[in-house]
Amino acid sequence: MSSATIALLGQPNSGKSTLFNALTGLRQHVGNWPGKTVEKKEGSFIYKGMECAIADLPGSYSLTANSDEELITRDYIASGKADVVCILADSSQLERSLFMTADYAGIDVPSFLVLNMADVAADQGKTIDVKSIEKKIGIPVLLFSATEGKKYEPYYETMERAVKEKSRINVKALEAEYEKIEGYSELKEIIPEGIISGFTTMWLSVKALEGDKQVLSMLKARLSLEDYKKVQNICNNSQGAIATGSSKFRWIDEILDGSVTSQKESIALGKLDQIYLSRIWGKPAVILTVLLGLIASFIPALPFMGIGQGIAALKTPVAAALSSAGSPDILVQLICTVLIQSFSYIVQMLGFVFGVTLVFGLLEEVGVMARISYVFDNTMGKLGLQGKSVMPFLVSFGCTMGGAAGARVIDNWGQKVLTIALAWAVPCGAAWAVIPMLSAVFFGPGAVLVIVAILLTMILHMWVTAKIFGRKLVQKNDRYGMIMELPPYHKPKLGALLRYVLGRTGDTFKRVTSVVILVCGVFWLLSYTFVPGSQPILYRIGTAIEPVTKIFGLGWQLFIAFIASAVGKEGAIGVISALYTGGNLSAAFNAAMSGAGAASNLNEILLTNVSKAEALAFIFAMTFNMPCVVALAATFQETYSVKWTTRIALYYTFTALLLAAVAYRIGLLIF
Amino acid sequence: MSLSELGKDSRAVVEKLTGDERFMSRITSIGLTPGCSIRVIRNDKNRPMLIYSRDTLIALNRKECMGIEVTEVAG
Repeated sequence: MSSATIALLGQPNSGKSTLFNALTGLRQHVGNWPGKTVEKKEGSFIYKGMECAIADLPGSYSLTANSDEELITRDYIASGKADVVCILADSSQLERSLFMTADYAGIDVPSFLVLNMADVAADQGKTIDVKSIEKKIGIPVLLFSATEGKKYEPYYETMERAVKEKSRINVKALEAEYEKIEGYSELKEIIPEGIISGFTTMWLSVKALEGDKQVLSMLKARLSLEDYKKVQNICNNSQGAIATGSSKFRWIDEILDGSVTSQKESIALGKLDQIYLSRIWGKPAVILTVLLGLIASFIPALPFMGIGQGIAALKTPVAAALSSAGSPDILVQLICTVLIQSFSYIVQMLGFVFGVTLVFGLLEEVGVMARISYVFDNTMGKLGLQGKSVMPFLVSFGCTMGGAAGARVIDNWGQKVLTIALAWAVPCGAAWAVIPMLSAVFFGPGAVLVIVAILLTMILHMWVTAKIFGRKLVQKNDRYGMIMELPPYHKPKLGALLRYVLGRTGDTFKRVTSVVILVCGVFWLLSYTFVPGSQPILYRIGTAIEPVTKIFGLGWQLFIAFIASAVGKEGAIGVISALYTGGNLSAAFNAAMSGAGAASNLNEILLTNVSKAEALAFIFAMTFNMPCVVALAATFQETYSVKWTTRIALYYTFTALLLAAVAYRIGLLIF
Repeated sequence: MSLSELGKDSRAVVEKLTGDERFMSRITSIGLTPGCSIRVIRNDKNRPMLIYSRDTLIALNRKECMGIEVTEVAG
């Protein structure tokens, strides 16, 4: 076989990603389908010295045009880019998961069938007669376990056979079932063979009966008005998807009849599901799982964090070395403040992205993520999101960037972006370090009330933001309730997952580096003293618009600290401390951003310079500001959208100031 | 009767499915068609329903269940 292009097609939980990762290893890249907001995964592998390209098509339950994912999958197959389509089914649930195969039958592209998760089926005591299935279905069939180590030879052989034989599904028996549907034969008369390349008349007739909008509009464009009217009439009077679906399942039953023997069905829920699916313990169990996952994410992340902090520590010696070598101050600053600082951030962040992607990818593969979806479906549905969105929210209490990376498990792009946008409203670990400290200085025991107020504001913020952004991001037809399978738990294939996560982390590195350097660079420009004796731009802006920011309760020092908190919340206190002690602005920024501590007499400084109402305003402004430059970069990485990332960032800057204004007015009333 | 009226552990056969085209195609592609037998695993307030059909554990949003009519059979 000369080189081939393969497309992977399968329902959710059919082990498609595992197979893709195992086949491609690090030779894969993730992007977006042109003009669409759906993730595109492509890769390659070498077989017998030939390079084969492989595309992982978005997972869906069928090939009806219900969503962008399904449309992309269909268009890709029909385009003829793939020489062969590998259809996956779950051996432990053949009857249901062969639906995709039945839906595919009639597409004019060679295919072969992989009955994945053979190990799960065997555990259930099922025996599957592959040969008899193959005989009835007419394409190569393989019983396979994508999670089992190195046994991929049979896979390659089956693939090769399908490419050589150009094998197509035998649709005779299926068509006999379709013939029983009222209107099918008439449709077949009207729609000529070859009217739309890649699809047979049988397939188009069935999709028309199902009321598939894309197929109907293609037919409308290609048929005479009279003929199209006939098509419409037939379809309006038909039973649609119910009838065709029943035909498909009858065909599947026929194929499986005598090929699959199973012991008596037993559907006792396992111990784990007794807990996850319990009405009382479900939610606590999910929250605990996510928090443990978060902690586990830190384990692989720790070495990276150490390296990242080590990089930041290089600033001082590098600066000294450069200065003594006679470099101009501006160059020293650029290298140390912008470059070294950026890389320190990025490396620390990558460790965490790696950890989160690995741990939550594992939960997804094992089947826990589906349970999380089930438990939080109702709660998250109120925001127009899936149950899975609860996970990024919880992770964001630790780190917003981790939350953004974790949002990757959400399969609908709009819901993913909205989830990240809402996760920004969750104060992260760095904010939680600052909030109690500042609150305690100004309000003593009242700090508890401030924290409660912040949590309530967070919930309100998320709700309002969901309303504002949700209108655009989550279309009405995506706001349907869940209809999903809770897959049986299965063993993950760690090696394949690890390679995938490494690849993703590499991707992230490439993408975020530019964003972080750019943002850090802009802040540096704003805070650097170019002309000795004059003030940096940020100072001039801050003092010039102080009359305006005073309305929000922020004097120029606090306003600049607010701006600094967009780079990193941990830097905010250091900046305040430096500014009120008359420090040099650019040095202050610099020191604060690399985590330098505040002055020892910070409490006095704050109490003499800032009123209680102003403090309250600042706490709210800082908490609900953009989380940090790294979270911004991660958001860009996950959404692939400059437009939405910018929108979210500007929105948060604006709402943070608005909340500050409200907090200030309330503060004035109280104090 | 509607699917959501069934209690935990009851068995039933799907009689009729009603809804828009999108719902029909989604519900059939996950394996629910007229005549298939199901068993209710969980029916808790504020959670999707959990049913077992065609070897699969399926979670269904309550609103979506409105369009699923069933006949209870003795388990």
